[in-house]
Amino acid sequence: MQQKAHLPLSVFFMLAWRNLWRHKRRTIITLSSIAIGFGLTVFSIGMQDSGHNNMVENAINMGDGHITIQHRDYLHSPANYRFLNDGNSLLESLEKENINAQIAPRISLQILASTAHNAIGAAMQGIESNDPLRKLLEKKITTGGWLTPNKPRGIIIGDGMARKLKAKVGSKIVIIAGKKGGDSESQLARVQGIFRSGIDELDKYLILSSLEYASQYLIAEGGITENKPLTRIAIFLNDDKSMEKWKQILSTKYNTEEVVVLDWEDMLPQLVQYIVFDDLGAYIMQFIILLVIVFGIINTVLMGVLERTREFGLLRALGMSKNYLVTMVLFETVLLSCLAVVIGWIVGGSVHLYVATYGIDFSGMIPEGTTFAGTFMDPIVYSELSSERIYQLTIIVFVATLLSGIYPAIKASRIPPIEALKS
Amino acid sequence: MTSLLELKKIEKYYMQGEIQVHALREIDLKVAEGEFAALVGPSGSGKTTLLNIIGGLDVASSGFISLNGLDLSTITSHALSQFRLFQIGFIFQAYNLVPVLSALENVELVMVLQGRNKKERTERAKHYLNIVGLSNMMDRRPSALSGGQQQRVAVARALAAGPKLVLADEPTANLDSENATALLNIMFKLAKEEQTTFLFSTHDPRVMDVAHRIITLSDGMIKSDEIHSQ
Repeated sequence: MQQKAHLPLSVFFMLAWRNLWRHKRRTIITLSSIAIGFGLTVFSIGMQDSGHNNMVENAINMGDGHITIQHRDYLHSPANYRFLNDGNSLLESLEKENINAQIAPRISLQILASTAHNAIGAAMQGIESNDPLRKLLEKKITTGGWLTPNKPRGIIIGDGMARKLKAKVGSKIVIIAGKKGGDSESQLARVQGIFRSGIDELDKYLILSSLEYASQYLIAEGGITENKPLTRIAIFLNDDKSMEKWKQILSTKYNTEEVVVLDWEDMLPQLVQYIVFDDLGAYIMQFIILLVIVFGIINTVLMGVLERTREFGLLRALGMSKNYLVTMVLFETVLLSCLAVVIGWIVGGSVHLYVATYGIDFSGMIPEGTTFAGTFMDPIVYSELSSERIYQLTIIVFVATLLSGIYPAIKASRIPPIEALKS
Repeated sequence: MTSLLELKKIEKYYMQGEIQVHALREIDLKVAEGEFAALVGPSGSGKTTLLNIIGGLDVASSGFISLNGLDLSTITSHALSQFRLFQIGFIFQAYNLVPVLSALENVELVMVLQGRNKKERTERAKHYLNIVGLSNMMDRRPSALSGGQQQRVAVARALAAGPKLVLADEPTANLDSENATALLNIMFKLAKEEQTTFLFSTHDPRVMDVAHRIITLSDGMIKSDEIHSQ
């Protein structure tokens, strides 16, 4: 037989569209349930991504940047004597890499801070005057001011520590650091400023000093002043997405038996784990929502198929092939899912835009000073959705709904015309 | 006259629960091109089964059947679909129009499947709707048409696609006397003008009156086959 059947897409579309609106109420209810489910997913993912991004951003900014170069053993066994002997050469070499980033040399020390009233264990961070930490903490200073070169023994402490040590601006504090052999190195410092960040870990345990002041303790461990001994070099990239690339380049060049290049994920494995588990929980929830969507569509399309058995028999009798029948039913599903995605985006997108603009204040639910996995979350959360997430969500719902149409479509095509016409 | 349809020793069995029903027995039949023939007989005599086998909606248990030179007993399911699409026009007792399509679109539907272009199928659909007297109701959906009007749309749909053979299963059974007579006249006129072959199953004496040939079935067998002079 030479003649071949042909059905244009426009006809599939027209038939599918009209069939979809045969039962307006049913279609509207199905569309609403899909759209609400989809909207909820968009909203929850937007909030969750925002929370994660916020925590990662805070971890990077308050921590040691996107990429850190430090002593190989420091991560698992931090000790003051595990430092980079030749900070100068490393810094000069890094300058030549032309990294689009801010490079911050730092000295981290575990010390005992002592006053006439009390003594507490603390973490001292020796930084340069342009260190990114300054941007974050200078505005949090409640008394006194930032470090100045004319006061080389000046330090900044949190208000929690100030309370414990009963220290004020101008108070003397003895900073004692243990040395490798068991001895200790003590230096006098004077409080130049007191900050209040609202983060317990910082307010109670962080002491900021100049790099030069902190370097005395490394020199006491055998470091050479001219070589600029450092605990680490923190690299704050201007483009987050370049982290993988730079980690690879720098690892190839600087990894040695003593030195290692790490990214924030290596430095904060507990944060990575927290995000992975949190994502997993969210994926399970999304899967459940998706199942509801899928069964909603199967229900609508299957009902539509079963009540049109006779009509499908007629179409088969008139010469419509099984493939065309499958395509016609799938078209109905595609249209239903397109409408659902559009309405879902309108619902979810509106909520997302509102929350992205005005945020939701969780300060009543998150006590001040709460930290998670080595970082913290700002109490006001602004929804965030990346373009990848938008594509991902759209495609997942679209594919799920399309797949949910396959069973009704195949069922329709298998109806024998003669039986269907008798029904 | 050349033979359009040929059936040789057609047998049909089917199961009804656990009982095997012998629906058609050794049917031998030839229908010439342009014939207006009626299959008559009591309910259960095998009229609809025979029409379904001729139309490729059902397959014979044994025997040979050919239409326009095509052996239907050996072709695939897909080829049968194509056969129905291009060679057969169906008119059903229950009209069987697609409810979401207008009268015009219903008539166009088979031509759309055939791949005819928009202009041609619209022209043909309008032409046939005009012949069946529905030129002012083309945009109405089936729910807005009476039974008689719906069956006229079905006649237009069957003929607009240009089939070799039109099979009509009790086409007037659901119509009142006036509509049944009008429909028969339309079909008879079209058959004559278009030289299309019609094969009816019917109980309606009016159909028997206009038919050229009356084939009587009983218990799945042809009891008589008479040519009527018009």
